[in-house]
Amino acid sequence: MRLTGAELLETREILSGQWLQAWHAPAVASGARAGQYVHVRTVEAGGLPLRRPYPIATSDAASGTLTLQVPAVSVASAAWARGLRAGDRADILGPLGRPFEVDPRSRHLLLVAEGAAIAGLRMLIDEAIRDARSVVLLYGARSSSVVYPSSLLPDEVEYVVATDDGSLGHHGRVTDLVPEFEAWADQSFAAGPPDLLGALAALAAGRRQRLGVATLGRKRGGGRQPAPGSAEARRKAFLQVVLDQTIGCAAGTCQGCAVAGASGGTQRTCREGPVFAAGELAWGEAS
Amino acid sequence: MKAKRKAFVAKAARTPTVRKVQPAIRPVRRQVPGARPNDRDAARRSTTISATATTSASAVLDVLGGRPVELEVDLGRGLVLCNPVIVASGPFGYGAEMADLVDLARLGGIVTRGTSLKPRAGHPMPRTAEVPAGLLLGMGSQNPGLDLVLERYATTWAGWPIPVILNLCGDSGGDLAEAARRLEGVPGVAGVEVNLSCSGGGRSSAFGLDAGSAGSAIAAVRRACDLPLIAKLTAAAGDVRAVARAVEDAGADAISAINTLPGLMLAADRLRPALGSTYGGVCGPALKPIALRAVFEIAQVVDIPVIGIGGVSRLDDVLDFLAVGASAVGIGVAALADPMLPVRLADELADACRARGLGSVSDLVGTALPARPAQPSTRGAEYAR
Repeated sequence: MRLTGAELLETREILSGQWLQAWHAPAVASGARAGQYVHVRTVEAGGLPLRRPYPIATSDAASGTLTLQVPAVSVASAAWARGLRAGDRADILGPLGRPFEVDPRSRHLLLVAEGAAIAGLRMLIDEAIRDARSVVLLYGARSSSVVYPSSLLPDEVEYVVATDDGSLGHHGRVTDLVPEFEAWADQSFAAGPPDLLGALAALAAGRRQRLGVATLGRKRGGGRQPAPGSAEARRKAFLQVVLDQTIGCAAGTCQGCAVAGASGGTQRTCREGPVFAAGELAWGEAS
Repeated sequence: MKAKRKAFVAKAARTPTVRKVQPAIRPVRRQVPGARPNDRDAARRSTTISATATTSASAVLDVLGGRPVELEVDLGRGLVLCNPVIVASGPFGYGAEMADLVDLARLGGIVTRGTSLKPRAGHPMPRTAEVPAGLLLGMGSQNPGLDLVLERYATTWAGWPIPVILNLCGDSGGDLAEAARRLEGVPGVAGVEVNLSCSGGGRSSAFGLDAGSAGSAIAAVRRACDLPLIAKLTAAAGDVRAVARAVEDAGADAISAINTLPGLMLAADRLRPALGSTYGGVCGPALKPIALRAVFEIAQVVDIPVIGIGGVSRLDDVLDFLAVGASAVGIGVAALADPMLPVRLADELADACRARGLGSVSDLVGTALPARPAQPSTRGAEYAR
């Protein structure tokens, strides 16, 4: 975790109300992993007196560059993002949170995202392609005008789009597309609003039964079970999700980003997350 | 050329604050009619005068650019802050979470997040909402309970050079007293701050809303422990002066004002409140004028030190709170956005004193207080004559 003054290299509005910003922040970019986020001090007149969390969309340690996809959450944050020019500086704290855990044996990754939350999965795509894994990205959006541009994705990704109004790709919710790929996928990763993640968690929970997967070898529970929430347990989970929460302190003190855990109690998005195995969270209340 | 370089090195190496070991000066308080004379006060003032007379190194330090500035603040009962900037309850949690990011030793002190006798699960999500120039919080004092907190952190606190003040909340005076009893004699706990914005249990309203229940809650804690006791008042009280007088009479050593104020925001679809707890506490710069008003009124009616809290995010805010009579200033939500802010403000405050040629930060305290008691805000603010 480092607090650095970063310099903006480039900013452009990739979609209406969504900016892609490239920052020069070598200290943050060098250690960043997919799923982690940065906490940015946006200077907003009369706005939020907190930092805003943005997932690290891409990071290049060699050039010390990281990109953030900044959605306009409020009028003030839109004004901040619109007003930024190359050469401007911002105070960035990061990389924060725990990254995605990809099982080394997983060859086929199914990524599901909706709206601006795709930023949380963007770096995972780069890492998966680098490790020669096949990636299918299912993307849901309101209409064709706000679909994440395929030009920003590596060519190796199979990109499947669903829109609510049917203006591009599948007409309906992105969850409709999941059954087609769930047998193919070794692991799945998702980002989006809580109701999408809840629906995907329900799908993932019934997956083994639907596919008729037999438990081979040692009986379940017979072997050593990794502790819930550990990196090892997450690596074995089929579905990992990245949450999009307002994060206050990013140090685990304020409890403002807490979400309900599956075994009672709460999990802090800023420390235990923002990536969780789907089984760690109580989806009934969260969605 | 050589001499020039030497001078430069000396300037760069100077410490930003030079402190004396003598106890602090009490804020210069204009004599308010009806204010009781305080012999403790007089004794302290005389020691400080002798202390300033004996400072001989000041001439040397003057050459180096580091005039000694008296920054210490005495909150009573032996609780001395090395500078007036403390972290208010909340943003730094129990302190240990921030220890690797912030040089805690340069703070005046830390108040922990709200802690209750029994563990609290906190309010349902979501717990934060954005408001103009502020934030609405509904954490519900989520904490693991007093015993676990002390077990986890007390030894760490004992090793720190700064006082750690434990913020207590409880459902009843009895709960608060029992919690305070357990704090007595625990190394690492320098004082207790009692959150009077929590409710008295059942259907009763928060302690801090009326003078009677605030006084009895503080009296219960006072009987239970000998630790320095700070009462954290709320500006939601009908007459904050009456509550301040009541807690002073009940034995509080200091007052901190103010806590968050109850507020409401709606979810984006306008079908329900934004927070899981319906109401939340408003904090941030939006709170500052209200907090200034409360400190202004309290400082005129009590003789104990006041800690000003509410929307402090710049040096100007610190100076404003000191001017209306606060002896120390607590940083709240602004420390979340910028963890380095409290330390920076402490340094800037010392520089501000130096720039004004003041030898002590207490010279900044109470400069905006009127010679005669001002009209209370309970008379109505905007339309009263």
